[in-house]
Amino acid sequence: MAATKEPNADSEVHKTSLPGELQYIQYQHSLEAQYLPAIRSLISKDLSEPYSIYVYRYFLCQWGHLCYMALNPTDSSLIGVVICKLEMHSSHSTPTLRGYIAMLAVSSQYRGHGIATKLVRMAIDAMAERNADEIVLETEETNIPAMRLYERLGFLRSKKLHRYYLNGNSAYRLVLPLKAVDESAEESE
Amino acid sequence: MEYYNPNSYPAFSAFEEPPPPAISSEGIIAEDITKRFRSAASTLEPGELVKDGYFSLFESVGALEIMDPKMDSGCLAPGESLYEDYDVTRPLLPSEVIGIIDQLLSFEVAWHLGYPLSQTLFTSVYIEKMVQLSPQNLEDADFIKDRPAGSPRDPMHTVLRAYCLGLLKSCHYVNERIKQEHSYEEEDFVTNTYSRSLLENLDRDMIREEIMAARKVIDDMKGELTDEVAHALGFRLELRTAFLRAIELSELRTNSDSLSVPWYQMQGVWESINKSRSLGTPVPDAFSAKIQRRLASTMPPRPIVQPTPEEAHENFKRMIADGIRVVNVLNYSDSQSLLNFVMTFQAQRPQPLVYIRSLLQSFLFHEMVILGRLSIRQILGDDLSITVLGRSVLLDPANDEIEAPQHPLFVISQQMELFRQRAAQSYLDIFRTFCQNRCRVRRTMFHALLDWESMQIDAQELDSRLQLQLKEKPLIYPPTNGVESYSLPLSSWTYLYKLRLMEWTVQLGFELDIYHPDELAGMYWYLGYLARTRAAHVERVQFFAARRAESEHNMSKTYTSLRPSQSQNYRSKPYLDLAALETAYTSDLADALSWLYAALLRLGLVRPPPRPYSTEALRYHQVRMKPFAGIGLPELPSHEAFARVVAQEGTSTPMLLEQAARAAKDARGKLEGMAKLKEKEAFAVGCHEAWLKGVKNATRAAIATVVAATSLGKVVQEKREGRVTVEVPKAEKAYHEWWIVPRVVEVRD
Repeated sequence: MAATKEPNADSEVHKTSLPGELQYIQYQHSLEAQYLPAIRSLISKDLSEPYSIYVYRYFLCQWGHLCYMALNPTDSSLIGVVICKLEMHSSHSTPTLRGYIAMLAVSSQYRGHGIATKLVRMAIDAMAERNADEIVLETEETNIPAMRLYERLGFLRSKKLHRYYLNGNSAYRLVLPLKAVDESAEESE
Repeated sequence: MEYYNPNSYPAFSAFEEPPPPAISSEGIIAEDITKRFRSAASTLEPGELVKDGYFSLFESVGALEIMDPKMDSGCLAPGESLYEDYDVTRPLLPSEVIGIIDQLLSFEVAWHLGYPLSQTLFTSVYIEKMVQLSPQNLEDADFIKDRPAGSPRDPMHTVLRAYCLGLLKSCHYVNERIKQEHSYEEEDFVTNTYSRSLLENLDRDMIREEIMAARKVIDDMKGELTDEVAHALGFRLELRTAFLRAIELSELRTNSDSLSVPWYQMQGVWESINKSRSLGTPVPDAFSAKIQRRLASTMPPRPIVQPTPEEAHENFKRMIADGIRVVNVLNYSDSQSLLNFVMTFQAQRPQPLVYIRSLLQSFLFHEMVILGRLSIRQILGDDLSITVLGRSVLLDPANDEIEAPQHPLFVISQQMELFRQRAAQSYLDIFRTFCQNRCRVRRTMFHALLDWESMQIDAQELDSRLQLQLKEKPLIYPPTNGVESYSLPLSSWTYLYKLRLMEWTVQLGFELDIYHPDELAGMYWYLGYLARTRAAHVERVQFFAARRAESEHNMSKTYTSLRPSQSQNYRSKPYLDLAALETAYTSDLADALSWLYAALLRLGLVRPPPRPYSTEALRYHQVRMKPFAGIGLPELPSHEAFARVVAQEGTSTPMLLEQAARAAKDARGKLEGMAKLKEKEAFAVGCHEAWLKGVKNATRAAIATVVAATSLGKVVQEKREGRVTVEVPKAEKAYHEWWIVPRVVEVRD
């Protein structure tokens, strides 16, 4: 998805130590009033052009079960979030059930503790359990920490997308194959 | 359009029902559904999404929120006015005109770089005032409207107006050229003009006259302007005339010398413009992001994009230099030199701007006349002749004259036409593809692979019909231990290109930093495998080419009408020799790097990430090698076989490194041999310098590989593995983008 900033997961500098064991919970619609504003502000912090409320609801209302939040144990405030979708992708000649990591953000002061990795792993596990054939995402070419995070988990860069973002930066498409999909079909655009 | 003003009070309290709108209109029976709507809505949780299956992510991303200043272009801060309030009628100092023009130059560059007009040139108040009413004649094309009749324009306004006229007109031509050729909207360039005119209705010559007149105005002001300022203004106007001239001539596609004249003129003028930049006084108020509100667009407001004067200078200078160079493509020598021209031209870093790439496309393909004078048949015939067929009877245009349907030459002529119909588009697409941005080149070639795969099968069918007509005798190939086979020229040609396409996709993967360092051993092995496959194929083509003369000679005895084909090998021999050399150095250097990276993996100096998810086999088949899965020949090795050959387990590490150094040395020798080739021998007529640069950079990579393998060998010998680290450079930092050579670095205490 365009212009999602991934956290600096491998940052050497720990700005703030963690306030104890974080809570990781799955999003559900009843939490919207409590958490959606925080999710929006956390994600839009790094965006030059914010997503409208519809973008969040597009994902959360359909795939709330693929959204995970990391919460501060002391006051249940939001520290990190991952938002995904999972649906049939049929521009391949063999349709695949494709998971997509749309947004990932961790509050800057808590980066470097592996929170993003944990959130992504929870999302991958949830999608794998629902029979995803593959998981894909795009990330800005300059976002080295994000690429490192995903590549450590097993994603490969499959293609580069020229000037994909509004700021003129290019992106990489990253793919994590989970199942053998039988095909001699061509890679889709 | 009325915008909601947050400072005024609404006419009704927020807690009261708004008054129902007047709903009476002829032919319409209105029904108040407020109650029903409310009761249906009350069953929904706040935030619940009601959508049909067609509401996609695309729609949701396109939605805007009113009153969010980042999304709503009409949203005003307290006290902010809706529009800019810059007065275009105010008198301008000469230094301010220079300043405004130089700002416009920066914006013009930003537009060429891919940013929309709305964030660049259309932020100029002068331009907005000039074009907002779509001027239909020269008099209307002015930022000052309703000028009293008969009163002369202020001289500085005259200069700025003339500049803007020339600027907009050239933007029109640039935009049209880009729209006519292939590029990717938004990704490469934004052609949207937001329903604004780029003076398409005004005659080019009239605009040129206005610019000339403005230069005269400057001359007449000699007493009031310093020479420096007068020249600075004059040069800026001259740039516009020259650019318009360059565009006009490019449409002719005649000889490159005359086409490059205005580009050279621009080059000279541009240096003077750059030197006189300091004479300008910027007028930032003459530009405003608010103008976007008036443009026909659904986009949220976006910031102004203005490159620094230095960035503008670098990019404009480069565009001019590329403009000078690109016209050389018109000096056609042979199809392989043409391909090398396009490849080397597009391999420049940074890549030429979209406009220049579009010019190249129009030179190549406009109206399906190649370079303005060659038919597709000519160029395809030329290529078949150079690569596989030499002066074969198959390519003789005289075959078309035969009218007897039973005559073998009649059948040959028909079959060759069938092949051209099948192959022409795919062949020309290779050139077109190289004119795209590098990311797209790689992706488009993946798609093309399957097309060439199926074309190879079709070509085999045609080959078998041709060999029947030619009464071709099968030969034992390979000469020892081989089986009887035919020359198969058309499928050989197809296979040659398919293999090149496969190599290019792998090489572009290096160039675009697609592969993780721990994948490099495998990808260089695969590149070597492809190059060896092509080398073997080239050898086969050479074998049959050498014997074609003989076999076709038999045929010419049968049909006396046929001219005996002389100098069978024509340009085919030097081409095949070059291809043999090129594939040999490619496989040598690819093997060397594969072995070097395999050693680094063993030593733990390049480490694979933990990768708790998925498996190596899945990644290999489903992602990395997936584009090659549909290729029958050469077949993709199984993951097991691939992993085994890449790991080279039977070879000790010192041995592996020694092998790597030796192979890289061999590659170096071959590259140095290539560097001695003259432009004709290298099939680089018109692009020899650029081609040679590529060869020299590859040579440097080969030398660096020798150094890395040798020094790592010493490290292993002295058991100092723990004392070194390895840096894998990004492609842009490598000697050659296709050869990523690791650097072994001693750890300092």
